[in-house]
Amino acid sequence: MAQAPLEERARRIRRTIVRLAATSTGCHLGGSLSMVDVLVALLGRVMHVDPSAPRAEVRDHLILSKGHAAAGLYAALAEFGFIDVEELVRGYNAEGSHFTGHVSAKVPGVDFPTGSLGHGLGLGVGLALGHRMRQRPNRVYVLCGDGEMGEGSNWEAIQVAAHHRLSNLTIIVDRNGGQNDGPTEAILSQKALGERLRAFGMQTAEVDGHDVNALCAALEAPSDGPRALVANTQKGAGVPMLRGKGPHYAVFSADHLKRALASLGEVTP
Amino acid sequence: MTAATQGGADLAVAPEAWLKENPSLSNRQVFRHALARFADDDASVVLLEADLAGGGDPFEARHPDRFINLGICEATMLDAAAGMAAAGQKVFAHTFAAFGAMRACEQVRLGLAYGRANVKLVCDYGGLSGAFFGPTHHAIEDLAILRSMPGMTVVSPADALETVQAIRALVDFEGPVYLRLGRNRVSRLDVARPAFQIGKAMCLREGDDVGLIAHGEVGVAVALEAAELLEAQGVFARVLNMHTLKPLDVAALRETAERTRLLVTVEEHTVIGGLGGAVCESVCELGLGARVLRVGIQDRYDATAGSHEELLKRHGIDGATVAEQILHALPRPLRAALKPALRRG
Repeated sequence: MAQAPLEERARRIRRTIVRLAATSTGCHLGGSLSMVDVLVALLGRVMHVDPSAPRAEVRDHLILSKGHAAAGLYAALAEFGFIDVEELVRGYNAEGSHFTGHVSAKVPGVDFPTGSLGHGLGLGVGLALGHRMRQRPNRVYVLCGDGEMGEGSNWEAIQVAAHHRLSNLTIIVDRNGGQNDGPTEAILSQKALGERLRAFGMQTAEVDGHDVNALCAALEAPSDGPRALVANTQKGAGVPMLRGKGPHYAVFSADHLKRALASLGEVTP
Repeated sequence: MTAATQGGADLAVAPEAWLKENPSLSNRQVFRHALARFADDDASVVLLEADLAGGGDPFEARHPDRFINLGICEATMLDAAAGMAAAGQKVFAHTFAAFGAMRACEQVRLGLAYGRANVKLVCDYGGLSGAFFGPTHHAIEDLAILRSMPGMTVVSPADALETVQAIRALVDFEGPVYLRLGRNRVSRLDVARPAFQIGKAMCLREGDDVGLIAHGEVGVAVALEAAELLEAQGVFARVLNMHTLKPLDVAALRETAERTRLLVTVEEHTVIGGLGGAVCESVCELGLGARVLRVGIQDRYDATAGSHEELLKRHGIDGATVAEQILHALPRPLRAALKPALRRG
């Protein structure tokens, strides 16, 4: 079966995310939608992973440090065959299910439970050091939120990554400009994030976080040290009704869901 | 060349002889030599440090490719430890108890305990052993914190030999462990004892008046000292080395409660939530009906300078004070029936 183009896969992931927003608990909608194209670039092209062997010794790793965006990661894992999409929609935040609202490592394709912010980079640094020590080709990708960069532990981990020249580690910051209580710039400025990362010793690039081809090119560019990509994105990206006001968290009504799905190309009966 | 390779004795084969050849090493130094030696036979053992290794670490000397000093970032060291464990390494991460258990507490909780990582967090400067450095460097709450984390195993060896045995056991133990060491003491307990086994308390002395349950280097040394002093008074103490605080050996606790008239816990930790707390919880839960006297740090920070021994004395953690407390607390033998009161008239 021919694979769908990456843009179509991104649309399908977004459809699943809005379905999760329409469950009884809702989900972290804005930040789940903003990172979809980054996930598509990683899982769809850049990373070496096999959904039928999610724990294989030689493979790449994705750590979602912004673990509150679990709905986005689960939806992407469903699109790429790690989990069943209907099982996800039924199980999301449901009694006894592993699909918890912050990322669970019980879900195939997930290495660490995250969501307490500021841990993903440290975990990624250790994983990258461990694989290098064992001379394995495994690469580690850590996806952080821009608001999350307020956690000091990230900057500890970045220093260690730079000092040890961890060329098998890539950090992607989903620069969507929003955090729980509002715009990052109103709460704790993340201005000049790229320059700051560069000053800490990372090889840094800024890229349009909704341009899958540009993301792939940046992620696949050669590097001899640890890399940081600032992916400029928008909260709620890809769903026109959310444009410019993507909420951090949302519980969708049936009507919202219908409109959102229609805008993503799905005709509901 | 390190002490682990000097002299004739092989630490792994003849630890007692090796310790005789290296009589002045503290337990925190013994840990380093022991891990360096055991790592010879296991290529997956890694040691992480957070700028507290000091110079000339024997592990670094023997296995420089498996030693990483991450710098002053305890939190990242422990997240990284969990990450390395996920790549298949057996990770030992070392720092001061106050920083490992408290500054990096959430990393321990999420990365190690919740993540069930194969990481051994080895911390020295346990209890008041940081002494004159002051309360920033004392760790008097660590056992309570680590014990409360689901899935954590908590061990404090009582002396140098037990430190070697515990490190040996930890190399092969799967899962997260907190191993707590002191800073200063050079303990060499001169007592016959059974083989070390995680989770299995050791009876070091028999007696049926009082049951002393002790944890760690200071706890066990003080309990044994108190037992000797009591014996001179005709009071016989059973001394239990509860080196594993979690999982607690409740069978040994039950046996001690049933054989003696008073239970006394001795630890270099606040009396809240550590060994004293654990024993009280189990005594209640098992319905053992025993009174428990808790010797430990009396719910206060001690901000004045002093030697380790003096700080311990200020909290009543010394053999003489413990023996005296026990003599006061022991249920007295039944008094002879009182003579009937004189009748008036």
